Amino acid sequence: MSYQAEISRENPTCILFVIDQSGSMDEITEAGRSKAAFVADVLNKTLYTLITSCSKSDGVRNYFDVGVIAYAGSQVTSGFGGTLAGDIVHPIQAISENTLRVEERKKKVDDGAGGIIELTTKFPVWFDPKSEGGTPMRAALGRTIETIGSWCEQHPGSYPPTILHVTDGQSTDGTPEETADGLRQISTKDGQALLFNLHVNTGAGLEIVFPTAESDLNDEYSRMLFRMSSPLPAHLAKFAGDKGYSITDGSRGFIFNGDPQCVVDFFEIGTRPRLVADR
Amino acid sequence: MSTTELRSKSRLPLAFSVPKREDQHNEDSFHRSAKGIYALSDGASVSFDSASWARILVRRYTRNPEFTHEWLSAAIAEFRKLYDRDSLPWMQQASFDKGSFASLLGVRIADAGRAIQVLAVGDSLAVLCDGDRIKATFPISTAAEFTRSPRLICTNPTHNAFLDQMDLAYDLVADWTFRGLQQPALLCMTDALGHWLLSQRDRDSSPISILRKVRTPGAFARFVQEERAAGRMKRDDTTLIALW
Repeated sequence: MSYQAEISRENPTCILFVIDQSGSMDEITEAGRSKAAFVADVLNKTLYTLITSCSKSDGVRNYFDVGVIAYAGSQVTSGFGGTLAGDIVHPIQAISENTLRVEERKKKVDDGAGGIIELTTKFPVWFDPKSEGGTPMRAALGRTIETIGSWCEQHPGSYPPTILHVTDGQSTDGTPEETADGLRQISTKDGQALLFNLHVNTGAGLEIVFPTAESDLNDEYSRMLFRMSSPLPAHLAKFAGDKGYSITDGSRGFIFNGDPQCVVDFFEIGTRPRLVADR
Repeated sequence: MSTTELRSKSRLPLAFSVPKREDQHNEDSFHRSAKGIYALSDGASVSFDSASWARILVRRYTRNPEFTHEWLSAAIAEFRKLYDRDSLPWMQQASFDKGSFASLLGVRIADAGRAIQVLAVGDSLAVLCDGDRIKATFPISTAAEFTRSPRLICTNPTHNAFLDQMDLAYDLVADWTFRGLQQPALLCMTDALGHWLLSQRDRDSSPISILRKVRTPGAFARFVQEERAAGRMKRDDTTLIALW
């Protein structure tokens, strides 16, 4: 049975974010921020949450290898800056130690006595928003194949990699479907790599979340993204169902026309492979 | 049972604890007072400095076993004073804000065992025995229940909302007595041992008779090591308080 491997320091898993930074990502959402800024914020928050979930009294444990591939114009690069920019995938401990900067943000919290207080909280930043040029999606997925192919060779017994691909437009370097098919064929002994696709919208249009059939979709582009997406394994389907989404047998890891809440949920669901073994 | 036998239960119980691994910090904590109040807490290693949180809980309980919302607020305040939140690096601040989690198992033995009150939050287990027979367990009664995520006490009050729905003096408490038992004993243990005990209870050899033979820290460490090696006990911090 697939997707059963326990995640431990000896057998970490890999989470790879593939982020579209093309020009159209500068469109302003209903919340008043660009799609690029919103996605960058959610990605930083996701990394923050992953790191804190691996933090124990003895430090950050390497349960995850994490990478970011960014694509725009004719470029496919590491989405990390600074000392992390030289490679795509890094152990989560290295990521925790190499932020671009740490900002201070205000947040409101329960004071424990029935009131709310505002706290200044340190917020690490690894990934800045960018938006320019075309959408070389096929090249980006090709780079993803190289990255996770090599990772799976080195981790044959691990829970397979999860790829979270975020885009807002159509590929400008040819159809990415065959490349995505090749990507999903890469596997460890515990199953095939999982490719989940999120199409972000500025708020207009009907959102389609975790569909089960191509017939649920209206146009060829969304149908292609559906075919490119892996079915949700049982534990992720349950988690998505617990978050209030309508999940049926065969639901794919795909959101079309996702609003900001969908973006947050997509990252949260996609980065919950399984509980780790040695907590 | 004679009064002499009941009085013998007011002595300090045996207490043993071994860490998950020899080179790792033990996040279980226990405290015994001569007044017949014992407390045990299992700090969750996923959380920030849960060993200190567990220690605060057991010390406070043995000083004042009236567990109320005010009691909990004071314990949280004591924990928060251990750290200057604003000066913590971002990662530690994030863990500090998320909170530290721990179980609390408190026992009060009054009137030489005629009245025993057990308070339990989380998955640490109290067991009332008569000889080798288990008479009652609290708050868990089957081994299968240990697979569920326990609800623990947290230094972040938002995670304690489940307590708002409870009558703390009723829903979290079991009232037991040694009266009428021929060979009464009371055991308190953290979850790895609790799971072992409940999964072994229907075996030919009673788990109580096995634990009864454990009288020294060295014997306890050997027992835990053997059960872990045999795959019968989860590798976790493991603590036993035993009043035989």
